[in-house]
Amino acid sequence: MSSFIRLFASVKAAIVLIIIITIASIVGTLIPQGRSPEEYLLRYGQLAPLFQRLQLTKLYSSFWYLALLFLFSLNLIICTLLRLKPKIKRVFRPHLDFKPSELMALKNSQKIIFSVPMEKVYGQLRSILHSYHYQIKEKKGESSLTLLGRKKMSGYFGADVVHLAILLILIGGLTSGLFSFRMDLALHKGEMATIPHSDFAVRLDAFTTEYYPNGQVKDWKSTLTVVEEEKEVLSKTVEVNHPLKYKKYLFYQSAYGWDWDKADLEIVIRSAEAQGQDKIISVKNGEKVTCDPNLEIHVHRFLPDFVLDENKRPFSRSNEPNNPAAFVEVTREGERIFSGWLFARFPDFGQMHPGKDSPLSLELRNFSASEYSVIHVSRDPGTGFIWAGCIFIMLGLALAFYWTPREIRFLLQSEAGRTALLVAGIASKNKEALEKEIEKIISSLRKKK
Amino acid sequence: MKESTLFPLTFLFYLLASFFYFSSLFTRKEKLNRTGSGLVIIGFFIHNLALIFRTIESGHAPFTNMYESLSFFAWSTVLAMLIAEKVFRFYRLSAYLMLLVIALMALASSPLMPKEATPLVPALQSYWLWLHVSVTLLGEAFFAVAFIASILYLVASAKENKGQSFSSLSSEKLDSLSYRAVAIGFPLFTLGGLVFGMVWANVAWGRYWAWDPKEVWSLITWFFYALYLHTRIVMGWKGKRSAWIAIIGFLAALFTYFGVNYLLSGLHSYA
Ligand code: HEM
Repeated sequence: MSSFIRLFASVKAAIVLIIIITIASIVGTLIPQGRSPEEYLLRYGQLAPLFQRLQLTKLYSSFWYLALLFLFSLNLIICTLLRLKPKIKRVFRPHLDFKPSELMALKNSQKIIFSVPMEKVYGQLRSILHSYHYQIKEKKGESSLTLLGRKKMSGYFGADVVHLAILLILIGGLTSGLFSFRMDLALHKGEMATIPHSDFAVRLDAFTTEYYPNGQVKDWKSTLTVVEEEKEVLSKTVEVNHPLKYKKYLFYQSAYGWDWDKADLEIVIRSAEAQGQDKIISVKNGEKVTCDPNLEIHVHRFLPDFVLDENKRPFSRSNEPNNPAAFVEVTREGERIFSGWLFARFPDFGQMHPGKDSPLSLELRNFSASEYSVIHVSRDPGTGFIWAGCIFIMLGLALAFYWTPREIRFLLQSEAGRTALLVAGIASKNKEALEKEIEKIISSLRKKK
Repeated sequence: MKESTLFPLTFLFYLLASFFYFSSLFTRKEKLNRTGSGLVIIGFFIHNLALIFRTIESGHAPFTNMYESLSFFAWSTVLAMLIAEKVFRFYRLSAYLMLLVIALMALASSPLMPKEATPLVPALQSYWLWLHVSVTLLGEAFFAVAFIASILYLVASAKENKGQSFSSLSSEKLDSLSYRAVAIGFPLFTLGGLVFGMVWANVAWGRYWAWDPKEVWSLITWFFYALYLHTRIVMGWKGKRSAWIAIIGFLAALFTYFGVNYLLSGLHSYA
């Protein structure tokens, strides 16, 4: 065996690797992953470039973390395979030539003398072992006989099944990393999008948000229709936790939003000079409209959730219309007569803070934007391996912990019409239970004679 | 009946039970132990009712905020304790395990924990919530059994080294008990925490694994118990070193469960 293989065959190496992977994984939970360079600079200052160079900011896909997982897989494969060979031999071609001294050297072995011929003891022993569901292998000698009773032998392979399952999961992860396809589709009602690398498209037919009585969001629902070669193939309402599956693609309700950039606004203009003659104007964010022959209204910006940052610069805290505000400029014959923020939630704000010499007051009465639903599309060929791995890992754990193999070795020796029986049990776990079972087998053998 | 009256009643029975368990430990009267066991079973029965009422009152699984979670974890730990009593026929652990249960119940009762039920955010509306959380917590409850057994092991073996005995607990028994608890907890934690977690993440978020801090910490917890098993089975570690791994493993499980929510941010931060 080369020293390379020997290194990777050892469980010590596995333990060292698991400890290193654990420490690395902990580091990855302490440093937020996949943020912008600016955020790291703010958080860690001068250390930021070092962290990025060491790939600590995208640790779980870093070269060195993947290398650790690769070494771990190698370790697992070599370790499992090397131990599998002797195990298979032991299970399928068991050793039957045990000598009396060998048996007596085993823990809890015992010797019993029966005053009946060996053939008779042998026959009774066989039937008792069968009634305890033992499978029997035997070998006849001249005046002796060896008999091996075994059950639940597949338990020996529990750990191997677990290890194989872990490999399957790692292969699944690798497959996902290399070959999965994901994208987010932002769809407006009625909009259709073709799915890349496929021969079909999906259309959003309806999108609704449901609320609890207290106003909290209960669910988002998107009705999606799959269109293939201009035919509607199927229609399903997708909601959180209930994706649509079609041809290896899964469609998830992932988010929603509004096109505030193209918001439609309704602005009321009151003139101090002409009271009671309010004008209502519809205008799109970013556009200009002329109402009076010489009055021009320009909406420069619309923020759905107006707040000021540390430098008193306005920005939108979220995409939700919590505090909608529009920055509006009004000019008459090229001369600016109003410019400022209008707040839909605080219509009086404009009145309380009128432009110094503005003859107008404005109000943002209404705002709307088209809503879209964000559908996450994924095609992940790794999931098959993952689910197979999950099933095998549970099977393997059940075998390893709760299907403990039991072996009982018997050696019968004929001694002038009498029979000497040597017994010893072997179990890797729950030895006491096997001892009890052996006691029962022997006492029923004693009763039978 | 309401959950808000059943919960304190449960707590009361658990407190009474511990009192009897400890009296039995110090007076060595077996009878008191059986009284303790009976009181725990009554408390557990009321706890079941409390959880059922909570489910009816809130309209969803009784483990979606910290108060509910603590109560449910206490419930799982008592269940694991009752199973351990039956399977391992080892009653002396119960007194110490009840200390953990009482700590959880006290934390849940503290005014720091908001008790009102809130409606579920969309991502949590799934029957996978039931499977994922309940099986994981039951697994962790068996880790708690191993944790207590391991701490007692360290105390008992230190006393034995000085030629004393520790309330008639033998260190050898505690060591094997710890392993048997891990042998139940590990498959449950694997099934609930990792397998059901991945299945649900795939259904809700469209990916089975996202390296979210809570996911990574479950994996770290799992690694600790893998270390426990391998050092024990393959390298023959027993006793002290084994006990320390089981103790640190449970602390990792607790951190995964409570710490991650408060200290690290991620997808799981609503739970
Ligand atoms: C985190 C990853 C791993 C897990 C979850 C795992 C799981 C298990 C389990 C459940 C057992 C059975 C324990 C028992 O019967 O009490 C076992 C046994 C064993 N494992 Fe692992 N294992 C992992 C990694 C490894 C690695 C990398 C190696 C290779 C060096 C390894 C080598 C062994 C060996 C030699 C046994 C002895 C039992 C036998 O072969 O029958 N394991 N493992």
